[in-house]
Amino acid sequence: MTHAGAIIWAQWRTFCHFNPRRGVTWTALVSLIWYGIWAAAAYSFLRVFSNPNELSIIRIALPGGLLLIFLYWQVVPLMLATTGSSLDLRKLRAYPIPDAQLFSIEVLLRITGGIEMVLILTGITIGAMLNPGLSRWSVLAAFIYVAFNLVIAVGLRDMLGRLLARKRIRELVFFLVILAVALPQLLLARQGMISPQLRLLVTRDAWSGWPWTATSNIMLGIQFWPSLMVLSAWTVGTLAFSRWQFSRTLAFDSDAANAHDTGDNRRSWWSEWFFYLPSAVFKDPLGALIEKEFRFLARSPRFRLVFLMGFTFGLVIWLPMVFVPRGPLGGFFVRNYLTVVCVYSLMLMSEVCFWNAFGFDRSAAQFYFLAPVPFKRVMAGKNLTALFFMLLEIAMVTAVCAVLRMPLGLHRFAEAYSVAAVVMIFLFSAGNLLSIRQARGVDPGNSIRTGTAGRLQALLFAIYPITFAPVLIAYLARYAFGSQAALYVVLGLDAIAGLIVYRIALDSAVRTADLTRESMIAALSTGVGPISN
Amino acid sequence: MHQGDGAPAIEIRDLRKVYGDKAAVDGLTLTVPQGCFFGFLGPNGAGKTTTIKMLMGLAPPSSGSIHILGLPMPERSLEIKQQIGLVPDESMLFDHLTGGEFIEFVGRIYGLDRALARSRAYELLDLFELGSMPKKLIAEYSKGMRKRVAMAAALIHRPKLFLMDEPFEGVDAVGARLMKDILLDQVRHGATIFLTSHVLEVVERLCERVGIIHEGKLVAEGLMADMRGTAETLEDAFVRALGMENAAETLDWL
Repeated sequence: MTHAGAIIWAQWRTFCHFNPRRGVTWTALVSLIWYGIWAAAAYSFLRVFSNPNELSIIRIALPGGLLLIFLYWQVVPLMLATTGSSLDLRKLRAYPIPDAQLFSIEVLLRITGGIEMVLILTGITIGAMLNPGLSRWSVLAAFIYVAFNLVIAVGLRDMLGRLLARKRIRELVFFLVILAVALPQLLLARQGMISPQLRLLVTRDAWSGWPWTATSNIMLGIQFWPSLMVLSAWTVGTLAFSRWQFSRTLAFDSDAANAHDTGDNRRSWWSEWFFYLPSAVFKDPLGALIEKEFRFLARSPRFRLVFLMGFTFGLVIWLPMVFVPRGPLGGFFVRNYLTVVCVYSLMLMSEVCFWNAFGFDRSAAQFYFLAPVPFKRVMAGKNLTALFFMLLEIAMVTAVCAVLRMPLGLHRFAEAYSVAAVVMIFLFSAGNLLSIRQARGVDPGNSIRTGTAGRLQALLFAIYPITFAPVLIAYLARYAFGSQAALYVVLGLDAIAGLIVYRIALDSAVRTADLTRESMIAALSTGVGPISN
Repeated sequence: MHQGDGAPAIEIRDLRKVYGDKAAVDGLTLTVPQGCFFGFLGPNGAGKTTTIKMLMGLAPPSSGSIHILGLPMPERSLEIKQQIGLVPDESMLFDHLTGGEFIEFVGRIYGLDRALARSRAYELLDLFELGSMPKKLIAEYSKGMRKRVAMAAALIHRPKLFLMDEPFEGVDAVGARLMKDILLDQVRHGATIFLTSHVLEVVERLCERVGIIHEGKLVAEGLMADMRGTAETLEDAFVRALGMENAAETLDWL
């Protein structure tokens, strides 16, 4: 694995150069907290699984738990529109590296999509090894189950990546993925409890042909050899599938795949009307700036995917909470479904609208500094564009809620939109500063790769609680005074404070951009290492 | 004796690359002998980069055949890649490595051991006059410096064949002179160079053979002296080959 050593070394050097010393420390600190929480959870699992008195619970929960691990590893990254680290094949294909080695490295990189699950499985396995009531072969089962998850993650990622690179079928594939993700939740929600269909997947008497039930059976000491054969067969089968998908990705030519669109210069009247809309409202150069943003973002696959996710995934994820209105939490979600989904959509959209406003169309950043337009107006153009798409997103969420006959009403509209407005003001403030200080180039054509660098993720870890604090205070006021009016009064005060913060942040961002334009343009014009996030 | 000895460095037969209903490369047939300095010219969008991408194994041809150093591409791509040095477009560099680190990385990918790759990397940095800034990241390099570091990386494993996509783009006169001297030295030692370029003066001075591609088809190919013919410069011959002698028009308001 000489090549693997060289690639990992180059990536390590890239990481060291990419993150200044302060950034490395900060990223390490946040990672320590995040993975510390998961390590604590893993230790809890270790305690439970090592306790012989908990065998009855373990027997019931283990198959479903292993299925959740599988889903976390394979599906959650898709919901967050990220699939962890992967090789930048565009740069490595030109060199004499055997495909098999590239595949092996890619499989190992899939660990980055599920480190949390490796920790949990480690806790479960050590616990099982210490428990006399569980099988000593648990470590073998866990090892094969991890291998199965790593290998299938490569195949799914490659297949999805290629499909999402094709212009005309991208959206269709995306909806199929949503459907696949939504199905188990909807089955649960409609039955109110575990349905017969789900029983086949997750319970102790589930079909023993699933990889998670086979793993569970090995750990529980049930049908060892048949279960081992089932698990091995799944792993070998997915290995063949993933190897095939990886080869197809290596040979994939995205230019050829999208060639049918290149000659089509016809423009529909409505899209042109949509693009000209800003110029009808704002005078040039602001109108021209916003029109350019409209055109660019609407043509960016990455943006379109996130926009689509905003009003689809959000609804799907929170839907079961509405169908299961038991307890105070269920009741809260019924009352505040629209608000929760709107805020979730804003969070999803923030990556493409707030945190890195110059990253998508990075070549334009240089033009902004050269053009005879005040930079403040450029920022205003970016913010107005983001505002438009945010409002459109919320409108789509509302429309879908109405189609699904979700509980809506005037007061729910008012509350959801007020909360979303306040959150947006604070997101804009933080986003303007981050867009200048943490500018980095993003591939607008890449649908599934995350655009969030480690250091920015660490910053967001701290920024989100701050941006949501004003809304939280408003809800606390409603709780304390028992009045909806209290909520609106505090939200109003939040909005005023937010606008002041926005003004200060905008001025600061413009000053910073003026002082750091050189480093900002350099940061926007750079690519990544052999492994990209 | 190596299988490829005596065979042309590059042998392309009826190569086609079709995107949708448009052929970017359309029936290209070309032979580049070993030890030749070959310039591949054409206007923007003519198919130069698509051709070089197919030669590098980055894009599969729609039809036709490619043999490099006597070996079929892509069937023997690993052996071929081991023997060629690439100067690809700038996006293929790793921006957050220093020049030395990038060259060392490429050396290791070509199978050099780490110590040798490192020592050669720093010798090459000095040769290309990049050694005075060892800690500077490629991201901070100028366009010309990026081309220089790409060329230095292409040399590290002493390849028999160089495939270069616009190697002189953005390079200053001193840098270009340095690169030209190094390339000519490589050709003197038996290497073959296949380069695309817009800088016709450079091609005219360096290349012994030239091919001109236009709308995916090879419209002219031969020795430099034959290509120039009665024309004063290669630029005149180039424009004539494309049939664009009287193409320039101006706008009324301009």
